[in-house]
Amino acid sequence: MQALAAAPAVPALIAQQAPTPAAPGTPVASGAGRGGRGGRGVGGGAEPPAMIELTQPDAVAETVARFFTAPQFNALKKLSDTLMPAMNGNPGALESQAPEFLDFLIGVSPAERKLLYRNGLDTLNAHATTKFAKPFADLDAKQVDAIIRPLLVATPWVLDLPKEPLLHFMASARTDISEATRNSRVWAESGGGGRGGRGGRGGGFGGGGQLVWLPIDPIYKG
Amino acid sequence: MAIQEFDVLIVGSGHSGGMAAKVLTSKGVSCLMLNAGPEADYVKDRVATPVHQMPYHGFNKPGRLSHVTQATEANAEQWVDEREVPYTAPPDAPYNWVRVRLLGGRSLFWSRQSFRLSDFEFNAAEIDGKGDSWPIRLADLAPYYSQVEQIFRVSGRKENLPQFPDGDFVIETNLNLSSGVMQKISELAKPRGIPLSTMRSSVGINGLASSINLLLPDAMATGKLQIVSNAIVRELTTDKKTGLANGVHFLDRHSRREMHVKARVVVLAAGTLESTRLLMNSGIANSSGVMGHYLHDQIYGVRVLASVPEARDGKAPAGLMGGSVFIPRFRNLTKEDKRNFIKGYCMMISGGGSPVATDFAEYGEELQKKLDHYAGSCVSASIYGERVPRFENHVSINKTVNDEWGIPVLHIDVRDSPNEINQAKDAADTAEELFKAAGWDVIVKTDKYHPPGYSIHEVGTCRMGDNPKTSVLNRWNQSHDIKNLFVVDGAAFVTCGWQNPTMTISALSMRASEHLAELMKQGAV
Repeated sequence: MQALAAAPAVPALIAQQAPTPAAPGTPVASGAGRGGRGGRGVGGGAEPPAMIELTQPDAVAETVARFFTAPQFNALKKLSDTLMPAMNGNPGALESQAPEFLDFLIGVSPAERKLLYRNGLDTLNAHATTKFAKPFADLDAKQVDAIIRPLLVATPWVLDLPKEPLLHFMASARTDISEATRNSRVWAESGGGGRGGRGGRGGGFGGGGQLVWLPIDPIYKG
Repeated sequence: MAIQEFDVLIVGSGHSGGMAAKVLTSKGVSCLMLNAGPEADYVKDRVATPVHQMPYHGFNKPGRLSHVTQATEANAEQWVDEREVPYTAPPDAPYNWVRVRLLGGRSLFWSRQSFRLSDFEFNAAEIDGKGDSWPIRLADLAPYYSQVEQIFRVSGRKENLPQFPDGDFVIETNLNLSSGVMQKISELAKPRGIPLSTMRSSVGINGLASSINLLLPDAMATGKLQIVSNAIVRELTTDKKTGLANGVHFLDRHSRREMHVKARVVVLAAGTLESTRLLMNSGIANSSGVMGHYLHDQIYGVRVLASVPEARDGKAPAGLMGGSVFIPRFRNLTKEDKRNFIKGYCMMISGGGSPVATDFAEYGEELQKKLDHYAGSCVSASIYGERVPRFENHVSINKTVNDEWGIPVLHIDVRDSPNEINQAKDAADTAEELFKAAGWDVIVKTDKYHPPGYSIHEVGTCRMGDNPKTSVLNRWNQSHDIKNLFVVDGAAFVTCGWQNPTMTISALSMRASEHLAELMKQGAV
């Protein structure tokens, strides 16, 4: 009943809105479309307004880390700086805010991946405390090396990551930290090309961007 | 207004459906094509985006398309969403079912490698000493291959090798052995009985060799083809008196409104597993009990990487690195060649590559120095190998899980045998031996490969044969049980070979469609 009562107000509300801007180059219908019930169409030969240039959020804001605990996040920052330091004029993981991005990414990942990271970072802290009586984030380079070098193995076959959870975590983290760094805005602005993501035939992305398929007539969004 | 009854209803719009439409309409047959997905607009539906502006910075949305390892954040929208159309598999037998429902299907995105099957595949039972042969031979299909190669504008080099039949190439390519590393490969391959050739590819038009630009426009131009998109076919219908197919039920993808369309003949071209799923959900055409069985594809993933010492640290002399060769199957071609596996594989060797970070255990600056040291100094080998079609590798309907449109999904149960494992090991060992003989240092060797389905070359499940008790289709891709039902996609395959199946699927569809048109002309269907 409420819905029925409210219905007449909707067309009036639509009538107050500006026409939906069309993408540049989009053909404009010569006459007003019928548009079905409540449809307005773009008609009358009016020129569509020019697109307004927008700013990307990464250019003006920082990711708020909220998934990992403070000790876990500090360990992730230390690990990121160790595995992917600034080199050859390229920014490192910390400047690229790779840990902050991974905090977001892992936080929206399936439970198995969340657990892998949480347990992995907790174990690094536990090893650091046992061996050097301080958290992983407070270790010097030599101490960090003593912990992580035995945990890093070559993984030339992408589907054959180590079965031992800590080694699996280290293999995943090394790749993720590198990719998050290389795919960051900071890296792109330093002149490096983005890697463009894992897997996939068709290779990586150049620095100028990749043709991204938009949702095509989707049933599900995103 | 009377609802039109079409001569032929074609389900699916990829290479097989597009070819059927092109051939049938050229002979005056009226066709209706139903496609499960929308039509993509290559201009409006794609936008150039730097990776750091993608929502997940190139990582793709976590958990999405978990079985499509080809998916990137950039191309995620092109694949079938597994939430829309799920499938099930045993936990210990993962399967990667990679699908596209856009108009044109997977023909929009294929690699364009264009090979004929040989009689080593068509006559597999005799060659392998086990298994089954096709009911046809290369000679039966060769005239159709020739026509397909002209349509797709296939480039290649004639070799006169029985296991690598030459095509009617529109563009002749040359074997380029000008680089030092390729000359070395050539010297070493010959005494080992390993033939060298070049890749054979469909040039197409503007880099696209798809149904939507090479097949469907011709069919549309006849005025004899209508295409309905977003039409999800649920079930084939049959005449209760004759048992013949008489149409299909389909659902509108968005509204889920169910509709029925009539036709004199039904041609399934929805892709191997979707065509089989549709037949199984319809409960028809399976008097043999073979439907759903013999699902197989190809193994991808073996990788061997060697570094050429004099090319390290960016010091490769001019002309040393670069180039590539394609090696067609060279195993199990004679009875004297005794291996611990049947069938064979092809190999691609490329010069001038580099290792990647995961090839090493180092980190930080130490890793970067190692990567820089080897950069550009490497020669790599990869393979495509033939999986064995086995009865026990099968699909069935999982009645407990429905897709978004309430249609029961497939349960896929496929496992590899020692044959695949031994074949992959032989490929890795062979490449390693070749590279070591060249004096190069092997830095990566893995004989692991992707799960079944990854190649996107799944075939079988409605295999053709002359015996109705052991096959679903006859040699014309026509159902043994229902004479006005044809399946023209990869489901008809008896063996997949190591070759990309697109040329064979297209040639079979052309052959079946010409046969169908003749039958219709005679009033036989």
